[in-house]
Amino acid sequence: MSAGTAAQLRKAAAACGLTPASWVPEASDGRAEQATFRPVRLIEADALGFLPVGLARPWPGPVAFLDGVQRYQIVAYAGVSPVVWAEIAAAVRERVGRRLRTVEERRRRVLVGRPEALAALRGTDHGCEEAALPSDEPPHPIRDFTLVRRTVDAERGRLEVEVGHRYRMASPHWLVVDGSLAQSPQWAADQRMLGVMKSHASLPFTGTDLERYLRLPAGFRTTVFSPAGDEVAPVYSWALRLWPWEGRDLFHGLIRVEAAPTDETVAQAGEICRWLLAERVPVSTPDPRWDRLLYGIYAVEEFLKARG
Amino acid sequence: MPVSPPIGRVVATELKPSTPHQFHFWTALESAVGIGAIVRVEGAGRRVFGIVTDGFAYSDLQTPMHDVIGAEGDPAGAAAAPTDRTEIRLYTAAVLRQIPEEPLQPVPIASVFLAEDADVVTALRMDAFIRPEASTGIPVGVYTAAGLEAPVYLDADFLLGPEAAHLNITGVSGLATKTSAIEFLLSSIFQKFPAQKGSVAAVCFNVKGPDLCFLDQPGAIGADDRRLHARLGLEPRPFADVRYYAPYKADGLNLNTLRTHPSLAANTEPLVWGLREVLDYAEVLLNRDDVDAKAGAFIDFLEDRVVGRSFEDPQLRDAPFEVQTFADLEEFFRAIFDFMEALGRGSEIWRTHHMATIRKVRNRLGNITTRAKGLVTDDGEVNDLHWGQFTDRSIQVIDVAGIDPLAQDLVFARVVSKLREHLERRDLGVDHVVVVVDELNKYAPSEGPDTYVRRMLLDLSERGRYLGLVLFSAQQFRSQVLRRVVGNAGTAVFGRMDMDELAMPGYATLSPATRAKLSALPKGELMVRHPHFTQPIFVRFPRPAVLTGREGVEQFPPAPDLPFARAVWSHLHALDPRVTTTEVEDLLEGRREADVRQALHATRRARPDKPLGYFSRLLGRRVAGVEPPRGTVRPLRPVDDPYRP
Repeated sequence: MSAGTAAQLRKAAAACGLTPASWVPEASDGRAEQATFRPVRLIEADALGFLPVGLARPWPGPVAFLDGVQRYQIVAYAGVSPVVWAEIAAAVRERVGRRLRTVEERRRRVLVGRPEALAALRGTDHGCEEAALPSDEPPHPIRDFTLVRRTVDAERGRLEVEVGHRYRMASPHWLVVDGSLAQSPQWAADQRMLGVMKSHASLPFTGTDLERYLRLPAGFRTTVFSPAGDEVAPVYSWALRLWPWEGRDLFHGLIRVEAAPTDETVAQAGEICRWLLAERVPVSTPDPRWDRLLYGIYAVEEFLKARG
Repeated sequence: MPVSPPIGRVVATELKPSTPHQFHFWTALESAVGIGAIVRVEGAGRRVFGIVTDGFAYSDLQTPMHDVIGAEGDPAGAAAAPTDRTEIRLYTAAVLRQIPEEPLQPVPIASVFLAEDADVVTALRMDAFIRPEASTGIPVGVYTAAGLEAPVYLDADFLLGPEAAHLNITGVSGLATKTSAIEFLLSSIFQKFPAQKGSVAAVCFNVKGPDLCFLDQPGAIGADDRRLHARLGLEPRPFADVRYYAPYKADGLNLNTLRTHPSLAANTEPLVWGLREVLDYAEVLLNRDDVDAKAGAFIDFLEDRVVGRSFEDPQLRDAPFEVQTFADLEEFFRAIFDFMEALGRGSEIWRTHHMATIRKVRNRLGNITTRAKGLVTDDGEVNDLHWGQFTDRSIQVIDVAGIDPLAQDLVFARVVSKLREHLERRDLGVDHVVVVVDELNKYAPSEGPDTYVRRMLLDLSERGRYLGLVLFSAQQFRSQVLRRVVGNAGTAVFGRMDMDELAMPGYATLSPATRAKLSALPKGELMVRHPHFTQPIFVRFPRPAVLTGREGVEQFPPAPDLPFARAVWSHLHALDPRVTTTEVEDLLEGRREADVRQALHATRRARPDKPLGYFSRLLGRRVAGVEPPRGTVRPLRPVDDPYRP
């Protein structure tokens, strides 16, 4: 059997004595993020500084963009523990001569739940991959669902890494990733990969430095720093303001860029920023994050949603 | 045979659903699909053929404002964007045919392919009449798309009757598309009209310059046109059997046509009518107000009792009237007026006809020889189309371009009426006649007085097909033609059109894209509507292998008008090359021109062995001029002349 749909699984769950359910949680197509401060190590200067980027200049050669999507819904309850059907996908679209074409795409359907629930459904030949939740604590529907979200996020991250790796193995061109490179040591060390983060749940500074950081003028970048911490691979990073924020919001047009932790990255930071500045157009409307969402990333996301 | 890959896919949304008559599909940006392309949809156990009627392109840009924002107000910035927006080519197609035809269902969401040769045949339902055993297909051109050139045929049963008939072509002037299309179609009919359907001939009215004056002369055509001819199974050749008719100019000797080059004289003859031929169509010459019941009754009286008969009325004169010509008729009228004047005051009625009515009819009829001089003679000379001797695949061209509109109306009315009469009696010589009329908006206008010619064309369009009388008409503005006339044309053809014309309600059924294509249609391309085609089709036709009017006058420049004596000589010389100019000039010395014309025309009709002698005998003995006596005229009464020196 090919990978089942949520509706098929719902029927299968009923047949197995589980309680069928149909609920699509809010924000089920995005990754869960927690607001934190992440300390940094300054690389380019002794203090946080702002540098003008100069005129926007597109990267002259081919460039690729990677993004992933996820969607999930509760299809049944095994007792009180949710059983979730999730679809995750990732793709790379390469731009050659202004035109984007898809060069890598992977899609997976995953059934997430407690091991006993997955075992009950196993006989239905649902065709989905399985991801088991830890069962060392008694079932709690809310806590279990939080674990499901983390599991799906992690599965998506793995898929993105897999797809990105395949592309980089086959291509010498730059790959721009929606999100952090730090999730993969391979990515973090790749001198032709950029991570572009539009979410600022995790902030690199505190106090007055944070205040300065969030008031970065349009067309400027910060000096290079390196996020510290044990749970991530080391990368170099800096912020870049794509659009003026004044009169809008502190985060308007603010992205954080990650690249390999090398001197070459520091040397190239200005050129990369001019390139990313050029990627502001075309704007990614009607997406509400258009001020930070590069069109190439947006195009991958739209492609994956359309195929889903 | 390799299977062509799909070029698109049907999409259906709540706002743009597929229906049994329309569907939408998208293609790659580089697709060869264009407006007018025929496509095939394969899926869900169904084959659907459609023709592209509209196209849309848009990107994921939500509002133009976002483009401005992205470029920061600088158009150059927008052009410098490193990535092209995701863009779509979305086409709308009208369904031509579904297989199976029942149950009729919405077009399935499936792959779309460009039509191939066999698809074009099926899509246009040409399989119903193109059969190896009995094909009635008349090639009209090739459908072209993405390198494909598929012949398109019209069904002869729906072009020349009896199922439907008539063809109307619309297009702007000056591109020669209308004339070329009609010439090509006639050639196609002559070459492909099936023998079992009978014989066919054409009567063409040349109403503009030299348009149709050289149909029998080969014109140079290019390799592409030859290839198109071959693709359609036609031979590029001029018409083999063409006869030209043109009225004389006012001098009664030089033909009123641009086809007067001596080398073309063999099949060019004068068109000359007399009183008898004209009187039957007097209504053409009189406007509606003129032809009241009283005038009509008097004209009927003339037709029934006087013209062509021996009419006796001792009150008018002792000898019977033998009215054969306009001159005889004038003599007859004069006798009536003299008689009534002699009766004195209060005598207003002659044989129940009021004098005012008689005068009106006399004025109108008398006016004919002036306005239609050259066509209508008052001396009894007649040279008409060879009624009853029409041959299969022949063309009679009547050149009326240079004559008065009233005379043109007379020619139309009489020729079409005679065609009708002969076809009713089945004694024309052929089974079908195609009547070609250009400038239809002039002869059958949608507005204006209801003329005899308009009624005649309406009758022809509504009832002609039962007789085998078929109208091929053309005009620049279809909207200005009587709706019922063009509406009865089973086949409608459109060349390049004027945008103002396309804005008329009659074109509302065409999509904006189709209208835009029509407004820029290149020479040699047409849009065709035919009963078998559920949607109009664009085709390309080859240039016909005949001389165009312009080329014709360059290659065969019209002969200059000859002086009277020289013109007479040229006519006699054509009958007998031994006749010299000196002989003719000697003969004409002192003769009245009218007598000479009468004798010459009689000689041309008789075609005697010795034309000059015959002509001389008809002229008769020369009467020596008698000088009046030059005596002094005596005054009525003597007067004193104060100025006498």
